[in-house]
Amino acid sequence: MPPPAASARYPSPSQPSGKSEVTDLKSQLRQLAGSRAPGVDDSKRDLFKKVISYMTIGIDVSSVFGEMVMCSATSDIVLKKMCYLYVGNYAKGNPDLSLLTINFLQRDCKDEDPMIRGLALRSLCSLRVPNLVEYLLGPLGSGLKDNNSYVRTIAVTGVLKLYHISASTCIDAEFPATLKSLMLHDSDAQVVANCLAALQEIWSLEASHSEEACREKESLLSKPLIYYFLNRIKEFNEWAQCLILELAVKYVPSDSNDIFDIMNLLEDRLQHANGAVVLATVKVFLQLTLSMTDVHQQVYERIKSPLLTLVSSGSPEQSYAILSHLHLLVVRAPFIFASDYKHFYCQYNEPSYVKKLKLEMLTAIANESNTYEIVTELCEYAANVDIEIARESIRAVGKIALQQYDVNAIVDRLLQFLEMEKDYVTAETLVLVKDLLRKHPQWSHDCISVVGGISSKNIQEPKAKAALIWMLGEYAQDMSDAPYILENLIENWEEEHSAEVRLHLLTAAMKCFFKRAPETQKALGIALAAGIADFHQDVHDRALFYYRVLQYDVHVAERVVSPPQQAVSAFADTQSSEIKDRIFDEFNSLSVIYQKPSYMFTDKEHRGPFEFSDELGNIPITPEASSEIVPAQQYEANDKDLLLSTDEKDDNKGLSSNNGSAYTAPYESSNISSQMQELAISGPAASATTTQSSFDFDDLLGLGLSTASVPTPSPPLLKLNPRASLDPRAFQQKWRQLPISSTQEYSVNPQGIAALTVPQSLIKHMQSHSIHCIASGGQSPNFKFFFFAQKEAEPSDYLTECIINSSSAKAQIKVKADEQSTSQAFATVFETALSKFGMP
Amino acid sequence: MPVAASAIYFLNLRGDVLINRTYRDDVGGNMVDAFRTHIMQTKELGNCPVRQIGGCSFVYMRISNVYIVIVVSSNANVACGFKFVVEAVALFKSYFGGAFDEDAIKNNFVLIYELLDEIMDFGYPQNLSPEILKLYITQEGVRSPFSSKPKDNKPVPNATLQVTGAVGWRREGLSYKKNEVFLDIVESVNLLMSSKGNVLRCDVTGKVLMKCFLSGMPDLKLGLNDKIGLEKESEMKSRPAKSGKTIELDDVTFHQCVNLTRFNSEKTVSFVPPDGEFELMKYRITEGVNLPFRVLPTIKELGRTRMEVNVKVKSVFGAKMFALGVVVKIPVPKQTAKTNFQVTTGRAKYNPSIDCLVWKIRKFPGQTESTLSAEIELISTMGEKKSWTRPPIQMEFQVPMFTASGLRVRFLKVWEKSGYNTVEWVRYITKAGSYEIRC
Repeated sequence: MPPPAASARYPSPSQPSGKSEVTDLKSQLRQLAGSRAPGVDDSKRDLFKKVISYMTIGIDVSSVFGEMVMCSATSDIVLKKMCYLYVGNYAKGNPDLSLLTINFLQRDCKDEDPMIRGLALRSLCSLRVPNLVEYLLGPLGSGLKDNNSYVRTIAVTGVLKLYHISASTCIDAEFPATLKSLMLHDSDAQVVANCLAALQEIWSLEASHSEEACREKESLLSKPLIYYFLNRIKEFNEWAQCLILELAVKYVPSDSNDIFDIMNLLEDRLQHANGAVVLATVKVFLQLTLSMTDVHQQVYERIKSPLLTLVSSGSPEQSYAILSHLHLLVVRAPFIFASDYKHFYCQYNEPSYVKKLKLEMLTAIANESNTYEIVTELCEYAANVDIEIARESIRAVGKIALQQYDVNAIVDRLLQFLEMEKDYVTAETLVLVKDLLRKHPQWSHDCISVVGGISSKNIQEPKAKAALIWMLGEYAQDMSDAPYILENLIENWEEEHSAEVRLHLLTAAMKCFFKRAPETQKALGIALAAGIADFHQDVHDRALFYYRVLQYDVHVAERVVSPPQQAVSAFADTQSSEIKDRIFDEFNSLSVIYQKPSYMFTDKEHRGPFEFSDELGNIPITPEASSEIVPAQQYEANDKDLLLSTDEKDDNKGLSSNNGSAYTAPYESSNISSQMQELAISGPAASATTTQSSFDFDDLLGLGLSTASVPTPSPPLLKLNPRASLDPRAFQQKWRQLPISSTQEYSVNPQGIAALTVPQSLIKHMQSHSIHCIASGGQSPNFKFFFFAQKEAEPSDYLTECIINSSSAKAQIKVKADEQSTSQAFATVFETALSKFGMP
Repeated sequence: MPVAASAIYFLNLRGDVLINRTYRDDVGGNMVDAFRTHIMQTKELGNCPVRQIGGCSFVYMRISNVYIVIVVSSNANVACGFKFVVEAVALFKSYFGGAFDEDAIKNNFVLIYELLDEIMDFGYPQNLSPEILKLYITQEGVRSPFSSKPKDNKPVPNATLQVTGAVGWRREGLSYKKNEVFLDIVESVNLLMSSKGNVLRCDVTGKVLMKCFLSGMPDLKLGLNDKIGLEKESEMKSRPAKSGKTIELDDVTFHQCVNLTRFNSEKTVSFVPPDGEFELMKYRITEGVNLPFRVLPTIKELGRTRMEVNVKVKSVFGAKMFALGVVVKIPVPKQTAKTNFQVTTGRAKYNPSIDCLVWKIRKFPGQTESTLSAEIELISTMGEKKSWTRPPIQMEFQVPMFTASGLRVRFLKVWEKSGYNTVEWVRYITKAGSYEIRC
């Protein structure tokens, strides 16, 4: 119970509302403290209750600490409990006063009543005051040996608490060994369960720096131990069962008999009423059978039913948790759930977070046999009162249409949506029709006739408007009044707020012009003029570019703007399979709910620096661009770039405007060039290449943004190109291909460590030594940088990964080089540069 | 690590902290402020019960007028967290005598603190069984049952085993003058019917609820007319199964007291019951559901200002039975101005706050039908082209002595070593779950 929240609201204890009452309490407590009159316990109880209720509502009552401790000499268990509660709350903030409590808590730890012994021990361990740790050892030691299991369960968790306050004290007292023997021999299930929890935590935290702990951690997963737990699993309560199942997941079975033995032992757990136990069991089953394809499928069949039951019972929140897991399974093996589609029909009163998951599942399991029913059901939701769900369901219909070969019926449905004449339905549908046409151009005839009938005035949403305009441009020859609609839109150029729409308008006008020049010429003229005068950089650039290309040669322009369209075969999946597998490995945790692996959302400190050292593919690569980026943004970018790999959907849009608006390049020339590239390549990775091209232009123009103004001091053995450039993708590729040519560890001088706290300082410093940073990230104490350098006058690159631990003041360097012979020389240069970091 | 919670908060609807308990130091004390500003004070509330803010995840539930928020910073086990909250609330309810709301929390905060300490230690759930906790967490101020000095001559039960031991749900030494068992089969029927009368989705979720007042450590055995159980029995007794209706259960889950190994091998439900009330088993059925009611709606929109609604409800259960508390909610457009209706039974009312005609029938006998016909006048709204999205008709009802699945108790045997006689009471009831008919 942390007081900070309270003190935040009541900044000082002298606040009038609290003070007088607290002083009152103080004097009353003082009177009672020494009294031995009959009935005194009752009045004490009332007072204590008052103190605790103040504490709860946030009034700081820490000033009565002394009096509370004085009153604690009582045999009344209720009073004692309240006192423990109070002490536990305020001890951390008052380490000096806490010393007072040690005495009575230690005495209570020897009480004849095991209840009091247990409670006192728990409070003692919960004080969380590091310098009182020594007083814990004795009571904990005897608590672990207590003949009452209640005390032992508390003592076991107490050891874990001690470990978190002071790991070394805990290890030195050899508590883990004691816990281990308790775990193997204690007769009480809860004691054993707590031992398991504590040991798992202690050993996995210790494992990073102690080999012994690492071995111990492994030994928890040994076959005899796993069977020891699994055979007695029924003796444990439901929560402890979860713990054991979680352990069993990590066990690597020796052969298939082993696998079947475990599954037989655990099969009845699937019938348990506690959803957490069922999910944990499901996880064991899934992980065990990963290597056995057909058994794995049978597992899916077996777990389907219990999971569906869990979904339909319990609160919406609980079913949400279960549904998220079911969602994961459905997406992994849609065919297994194909016949159960009715379970995923939405009920009218369900919360929208449940409905959303169900819609996604319906989309995933749609196949030839059930598409008709599913789409019919989804169409019902399109008329839903909840607009968000209505939109989702239209999108779902669209997704199914894109998955299926037989889209005939679905196209009809989509077109019916357009007839519903609801703004948001029309808007969503237009976007879908656009996507559908990109994949199945053969449907253009049916769609266009309906789309042509839609009045552009009724469409306000930029995405829908852009979709409509795209269709107008693309199918200008089939829609008789396309040029006139476009003309109308162009006339209202000023009122169009979305740059995306204006960009599309330009392109559509161009396309229309190529097909029906006489009718469009005037409109195109107006559009180009308006575009060039536009305040938005991208719109301006695109208009200017179109203008110049047209000036150069109309045929070239047509080839650039309106090349023969190829049907898109598949839309990019939003998540890589690697990420999906990772989420699957973390079944039964938050990862599944968030639909992203845990490293993306848990604290960076939990991740540890080495977890990803060798797989560059997964780690952040931020284009460092130039030193202009504000540090705050830089860090934010680092947080986001983890998602880089997942965010690449939609890049294969032919004339995507997203790329254009994703950045704002400062110079006109560079931007036009990027436009050119975008059009020429018009494929994925456009944004990355554009960044690169702006580098080149900077160099060409001699603006020297990314170059060093400080000359390299004392020319080293190896001359490096101060204007080296390398784009992140090329870096990434090289990093994968090249072998490590040298690995070194240096110590960083203290000034350097101090300077590290200033963001970008190291990057700037290294840049002045012609070593450029391409990506960086991390949080204290671990920082990670990727640098590159180029040999002067030769296209030979040096790539470096540098991990600096600010608490140990060590830097780990890995160098990869095109030329192995000079890599050592480069390492020396790097070391010299690094050693000067932080020096004035 | 399957930590279920680093901290737990109880907040009222305004966001004031009623109770808070921090179990682990990995979440800061100001996390509740983050919850208030980022979830409670925004539209996010209710959008998703699991949210991440900063480095922490918030797992929350609303129960009556209280938000219970679990905060974790690691990759925690969510299902476990929610289940913990649900169980904890059940525990509090059993302590407070049924109610769990802001007032109950305020009146019992000392007790709640104590319980929170007992049911979770350092983020790991401990024993949450009310039966056992009630033994030693009391506000009476008596010495605990472990105490070596018993107050009267009652034998002190072996508390060690009870708090943490194998039969964690029942204590020894119980004795009742009259040994009674109450068993209720409560089913809820979920139905989704299309406007054309096709059943789109239909299932039954059932619960077997028990209330036991039995002395000693009795062994109970329950037999149902479910298919697997019957087949297994006839196979074991090597005689053909009796003809009659057998029920196929899609899935069954049991209270932790049920011996699952025995269920898997012999297909009988045998258990040592906890004292008092508990939920013995849950099941789900999708095949062969007897729908208790048929609803035939016809809704005609006559022009822009008039509507005709005709709803016929038919009861299709046995003629000797009757349904209680039947409520039919018939949606009408928002711009309803005037309603006129006739009903053959019960009473109907237009409720503008939920845009429904609410038709209530207190007692609805089996094999009968009843109709409501209404004329609705609408305010004509100019320029409003939006057509009315018709929400489904919803129904509530209870049918005693009827099970939509057809499930029946064949036997309930109680065996205790002292060999006392017991009285067994069995009841059935079917309720409407989400009973929706599109129109």
